[in-house]
Amino acid sequence: MKKIEAIIKPFKLDDVKEALTEVGIHGMTITEVKGYGRQKGHKEIYRGAEYVVDFIPKLKIEIVVEAARADEVIKVVREAANTGKIGDGKIFVIPIETAIRVRTGEKGPDAI
Amino acid sequence: MVLQQEDISQRLTQERASLFDRFLKGNARDLLAAHARLFDEYFQESFLSSRIGPHLHLDKYPYAIIAQGGYGRQEQCVHSDIDLLFLFEKKVPDRAEELVREIVYPLWDMGIDVGHATRSISDCVKLAGEDFEILTPLLDARFICGMSLLQTRLMDRLWQKLILKRTNKIVTWLVKRNDQRHEHFGDSTYLLEPNLKEGQGGLRDYHTMTWIARIKYHLKQPRDFEYLGLLSHSEFQRLSKVLSFIWQVRNRLHLMTARKCDQLRFEHQIDMADAMAMDEKMGLAPVERFLGELHSQMGFLKQQYLMFLHEHGRARNAPSRERHAQSPRLDGLVISNEMMSFKGPEVIVESPILLIKIFEESARLKVPISSEGRRLVREFLGLVTYDFITSPVAVKSFEKILTLTTRTFNVLNDMLITGFLEKWIPELRHIINRIQYDEYHLYPVDLHSIQVVQTIKNFGSAMDVAGDPLCGNFFSGIRNRKLLLWAALLHDIGKGKPGEDHSRKGAEIVRRVLGKKGLKPRQIDIIAFLVREHLLLSKTATRRDLNDEETALLCARKINNPDLLKMLYLLTVADSVSTGPKAWNQWTLTLIRDLTLKVLRVLETGELASPEAVHQVDAKKESLLESAETEARKSHLRTLFESMSPRYLLYMDPPDIRTHIGLYEELGDRAFVWHLDRAKTETNRVITICAKDRPGLFSNVAGVLTLSGFDILDARVYTWRNRIALDIIEAKAPGDADFEEERWERATRRLEEALSGRLDLDAALVERMKVYGTGGTRKTGRRPHRIKIDNSSSSFFTIIEVFTYNFPGLLYLVTHALFECRLDLWVAKIATKVDQVVDVFYVRDFNGEKIEDEAQTAFIKDKLLAVLNQRGVRGY
Repeated sequence: MKKIEAIIKPFKLDDVKEALTEVGIHGMTITEVKGYGRQKGHKEIYRGAEYVVDFIPKLKIEIVVEAARADEVIKVVREAANTGKIGDGKIFVIPIETAIRVRTGEKGPDAI
Repeated sequence: MVLQQEDISQRLTQERASLFDRFLKGNARDLLAAHARLFDEYFQESFLSSRIGPHLHLDKYPYAIIAQGGYGRQEQCVHSDIDLLFLFEKKVPDRAEELVREIVYPLWDMGIDVGHATRSISDCVKLAGEDFEILTPLLDARFICGMSLLQTRLMDRLWQKLILKRTNKIVTWLVKRNDQRHEHFGDSTYLLEPNLKEGQGGLRDYHTMTWIARIKYHLKQPRDFEYLGLLSHSEFQRLSKVLSFIWQVRNRLHLMTARKCDQLRFEHQIDMADAMAMDEKMGLAPVERFLGELHSQMGFLKQQYLMFLHEHGRARNAPSRERHAQSPRLDGLVISNEMMSFKGPEVIVESPILLIKIFEESARLKVPISSEGRRLVREFLGLVTYDFITSPVAVKSFEKILTLTTRTFNVLNDMLITGFLEKWIPELRHIINRIQYDEYHLYPVDLHSIQVVQTIKNFGSAMDVAGDPLCGNFFSGIRNRKLLLWAALLHDIGKGKPGEDHSRKGAEIVRRVLGKKGLKPRQIDIIAFLVREHLLLSKTATRRDLNDEETALLCARKINNPDLLKMLYLLTVADSVSTGPKAWNQWTLTLIRDLTLKVLRVLETGELASPEAVHQVDAKKESLLESAETEARKSHLRTLFESMSPRYLLYMDPPDIRTHIGLYEELGDRAFVWHLDRAKTETNRVITICAKDRPGLFSNVAGVLTLSGFDILDARVYTWRNRIALDIIEAKAPGDADFEEERWERATRRLEEALSGRLDLDAALVERMKVYGTGGTRKTGRRPHRIKIDNSSSSFFTIIEVFTYNFPGLLYLVTHALFECRLDLWVAKIATKVDQVVDVFYVRDFNGEKIEDEAQTAFIKDKLLAVLNQRGVRGY
């Protein structure tokens, strides 16, 4: 199993979710995160006061899938989250040892 | 006949089961008392059948079995504890243990929680004095069996030795104890998983009232609340109904969970709504109606409790938190004990306007209204007629209330609780106690709306909860706060009508409401706008690309006025803050504030979103659409408009746009197409270009034109949102008209070569300048070149202005330098007057961002100046 962790622009969430649903991915975890990479923060000035955005708001999506499906999911996320501009985000892939469904105790791929 | 203990136990089990069964079927009229009676019978019979019991008496240990707490009050809920006292006259004999074993153990076996104490009278008094926790259940003591005289003696001693001596202390303790409970269990009148007993508005509030009334006014039974004048008849009636509702829910919950459970968790709410026979109504699911009902009932209890405390629960000499020196300006109102009230019922009949004036005075003087005052408001609501709610005096009074701030209490809340608010704005009735069944909305709509008003008024003050200095900054600059506060109060009024967009519906309702109140049309427009668009900023901020200028423009065009934007921002923030922690955090704040400041900049610059600009753009679109012949063509054009950037639409004339559309359709896979127009004048040519945009495109175009003998005078460069570049260039024609066609063809070829990298434009230009010489030598006394880099006019572009004088190849040099600085040209305006040139470039870096780094802007400036000054060095 793999965990696919994608940092995306907030307004792309619906597109990504829809695209994932289309390929049969129905579960994911969303976190509101802040950070920066190549896209640096910026500032707005109002009446002399600076409102600095050091860390840019992004969303983190986490999806766990069977290893065989990882490439497909990565492709879907990448396409859906892409605006062609800076700050479109990154995708990380992490191996998962196992998964357990709390309610039933099912293990491994059955639990995802 | 004396029954055996087993039979007694068995009978209790059966009778309880049958009682609960009848209750669930709706046939148990007074479950609590009936339930208590079953236990009374059990104890009485057990007492009789007891082996040890009679001996104790004979052995001169007289005793009584006494019910305490809820059981004592005959309010025995299904799985509540049985609180029991074995009271002995003087000394507790060792054998008392046996008695307990005989009588209490069988109950434990049945799974009933019994708390019991075996004490002598003096022990009881002593312990109760040491710990009021022991006193409170004793206040509800009720004799069950044994020697009744003992109970009378106990109570006498308690009163003489403890209660009468330390009345205030006990009351203060009771109130404090209940406050702690509230702190721990929260306010049940809005929590989504309310605690029926311990939370605010829970049964403990009623118990505390009862205890205080017992101690201070010798209340014996609930009815005495009315007889002693502590509650009015109608309040007592309502309170009884409220209690019976909460008890219904609590008992059902006990039965559902098969245990003593007082917190109504999500998992039981739907079943509970079903059991309480709630049906769907007004688009509310049964569970939403049920929770609304429960919150409202508990809200009444909470208010009764708070009012009761105001008048009976505080020590008289407590200092008031808000000092007031003035007295009411109006005749019919009085202040006594730091509470506002009417002089009497008759003044209201004489002058009904007092019904709203009392709130205004309460807000103005910061004096809360007494419970008598609220009671009178409630009971004279009939006088709040149509004429009343539309009278200008009353409206003025209400607007005062809206804008005044009180710290320790909330006048709007008082208006809501007394039912006045609903009479005053009847359209609010659909949102009163309206629950949204999710984890996102923490408060019912009515309380939420009042809270939004409060949150806004607190912006910039010590009580500001938003954590955003911009709010205080904006709020201090709002001239007409009452409009914003009207909008805050009414922003969710559309939620009463399900199934429709509540913002739009709300705006319609608001127009009606405020029309009746006689507000000016201009004011109504503003309030209705704020209501209609109160989700615009948060929706846009989270669902649209904030780096796209069009996003900010869209909002700017809709809002159209910086003050309105500020109000909308304040409403948005207050609304989110008051919705609950899930709707508000720094993450969301960052997005919304970023958008707002961008929109504000657009509005304050005024270039693209002024009413005039919007009008011009609309007119152009209209004229282009008119010339389209078929409907299909029209819709094609509309799609193209979507791609066109705002500046393009604003500054291009329809004929040029038409030419561009033609070229765009021709473009296909090619890198560019262009068109030479000779029609304008003898010497000047207009070149229209459509190309796939890429960094450096324009410097190539400018270079090729210079190389081919076209001297650029003016240029307007735009980029559509789909990254198609569209330029219009006015150039001086090359001298010999005969070869112009040829030159043009060569230019086309050269541009193709340059774009595909086959032509070294830089080298070719140096060559050409050697051959043709320069267009004007450098003169002394000219003003030096100036470069201005502006990052404050636009949130999306860095604007570079170049002031210089013209010479052939200038534009190529400048734009090529920009390209070498890794800047991407989005918009350019080149204007030449005689030989003075003003070039304005809207640029971003190759990542699509503004250039805000100071070292980098300095570098760009130096580079441009160097290029301009080096002109001679390069040979042209």
